[in-house]
Amino acid sequence: MRLLEKTNRIYLLFSVSLYIVAAFGMYGIIKWLIYDEVESRLLVEKRDFLVYIHHYDWKQDSYFVENKIEVEPARKPAHFKETFKDTLIQDRYSQKMLPFRQLTFYVPIQDMEHRVAIRKSMIQSYRLIEVITFTMALMLGLLLLGTYWFQNRLSGRIWQPFYETLSRIKNFDLAQKQKLQLPQPEIIEFKELNEVIQRMSDKILQDYLNLKEFTENASHELQTPLALINAKVEQLIQSEQLTENQTHWIQTIYEASLRMSRLNQGLLLLAKIENRQFINEQVINLSEELQEKLLDMEEVVQYKQITLSIHNESPFTVSLPPVLAESLITNLVSNALRHNVTGGEIRLHSLADRLCLSNTGQILQHQPSELFSRFKKEGGSSESVGLGLSIVKEICDNYGLQIQYTEINGMHTFCLSQGS
Amino acid sequence: MKMLVVEDEQGLAESITAYLSKEGYRCEMAATYQEADEKLYLYEYDCIIVDLTLPGGDGLQLIETLKKRSASTGIIIISARNALEDRIKGLEVGSDDYLTKPFHLSELNARVKSLIRRRNFGGHNEIHYHEIAVQSLSRKVFVKDQETVLSRKEYDLLLYFLSNIDVALTKVSIAEHLWGDHVDSADSLDMVYSHIKNLRRKLIEKGSRDYIRSIYGIGYKFGEA
Repeated sequence: MRLLEKTNRIYLLFSVSLYIVAAFGMYGIIKWLIYDEVESRLLVEKRDFLVYIHHYDWKQDSYFVENKIEVEPARKPAHFKETFKDTLIQDRYSQKMLPFRQLTFYVPIQDMEHRVAIRKSMIQSYRLIEVITFTMALMLGLLLLGTYWFQNRLSGRIWQPFYETLSRIKNFDLAQKQKLQLPQPEIIEFKELNEVIQRMSDKILQDYLNLKEFTENASHELQTPLALINAKVEQLIQSEQLTENQTHWIQTIYEASLRMSRLNQGLLLLAKIENRQFINEQVINLSEELQEKLLDMEEVVQYKQITLSIHNESPFTVSLPPVLAESLITNLVSNALRHNVTGGEIRLHSLADRLCLSNTGQILQHQPSELFSRFKKEGGSSESVGLGLSIVKEICDNYGLQIQYTEINGMHTFCLSQGS
Repeated sequence: MKMLVVEDEQGLAESITAYLSKEGYRCEMAATYQEADEKLYLYEYDCIIVDLTLPGGDGLQLIETLKKRSASTGIIIISARNALEDRIKGLEVGSDDYLTKPFHLSELNARVKSLIRRRNFGGHNEIHYHEIAVQSLSRKVFVKDQETVLSRKEYDLLLYFLSNIDVALTKVSIAEHLWGDHVDSADSLDMVYSHIKNLRRKLIEKGSRDYIRSIYGIGYKFGEA
């Protein structure tokens, strides 16, 4: 639910209930006022009547207005209290029942106890109540609608900078390396919000760029010293006078520096893929390339006594920069070989919309979801730097491919498919 | 054979020079763009090894100027830049080979040898080492004039050895030479062992002496004991 919708809904609910309460309240007040007026008039008439019968005698025709007064001989009941009450009396001409307010009291006339009821027609007063209530209700309703409409427009306008900011934040993408541009609204709170977000996003972007640059520069700059170490070690091993221990140490240094350089190249490649520094995408038949790579690794396959089965039903083509296609395939193949077991199996299955490479292997030690994370190594082989599958994933993510991993009975399968 | 090593990293330049000098080349060094440009203007070289990022200029520029002056010089680029575009550009301006840093000196040496073979004899060439002869164009190997049939990898292995005679080669450098630098599993080292075993057997069967020696903890050396 949107903010405006929410506030409007609450506002509407509140004002409607207030409106109903006010309408009833007003009806009650007006009714009370009118009754009060009618009753005080009845009391005055009672006094007039008493004065009249005191001075003159009462005859039935003394008062001719219909239903205005009713005098009957009657005994005053015990505990009688003078009261007002509503009553309906039939109109002589229209035969309709009409509302009256009636005051009943007992008075002795010519030494006889009489019950006297004097009445006042309420028909006018009721109409008045109706009209007043209706008018007030109408006015209140209009007021309510008016304020609702106004409130709606007003908050829409007031919150507009907020929605603007929101939409710009939504469209903000770090990878595009474009600064977040926010307007400067008049409202102080929004202005502050925008300023804070602006500062934060600038900082994030800066950090992001610095980090990328650092990774790239560090990896790049490390290549030369690594080349130096390798070269010196290679010279050193040419020396004939090395003891067994020294040879062992040198070998360790050599292997460590090689690993570092591999790691480095991997990180550099990842940074470049993220930066989309590879251009000239081409349509590449990935099934064919993968097949060639597998055949290229023939010696390794034979050495590990791996059975290779290739089902190329229809070619799976992708649009990729050739160097990345090569990297993708190489990493998938070396993954399938590295984690394979002696006497295992590698299966390649190519369909127009899917390319699957399966290999036998040990059960995963990590969660499958961590498989594509950087530096997650399986099987603890120290030669591997744990970047291969991250590179595969990164390539897929950046070039609209999807990669899925499944494992059934020790058969590990990676499937490539075109992303949605 | 005169060579120029253009590399601003002093230590690396020295290592390359030392390694290649042992192979019998006359090597000179240049550490900056200007120095290299001057030397290339003054002297003739058979082969130059160029780093692309140089103080004072771009290595590619250097190659372009050199190509205009003397087209016959062999050029090998060594660079930390691994992008395909750099490789393509390097080859476009006329370099013969491209090696990404870090590299094995033995690999560089093998590339230099192969380049020189191509330059001097247009590929029609035989490599001789005592009783072993290799026809590099037809990829045939003869021991005492008897052909011995080698697999593709065994042939590559022999050629790598012949390019680095009397040099201790690490198992890793051999593996990378044969399968590319992505082969990094422990298996590849065992594979190197089995390939070497086969190569040695095939050569000895045809009457060659045993030139391959294993060096404990390091790798192998090809040469007379």
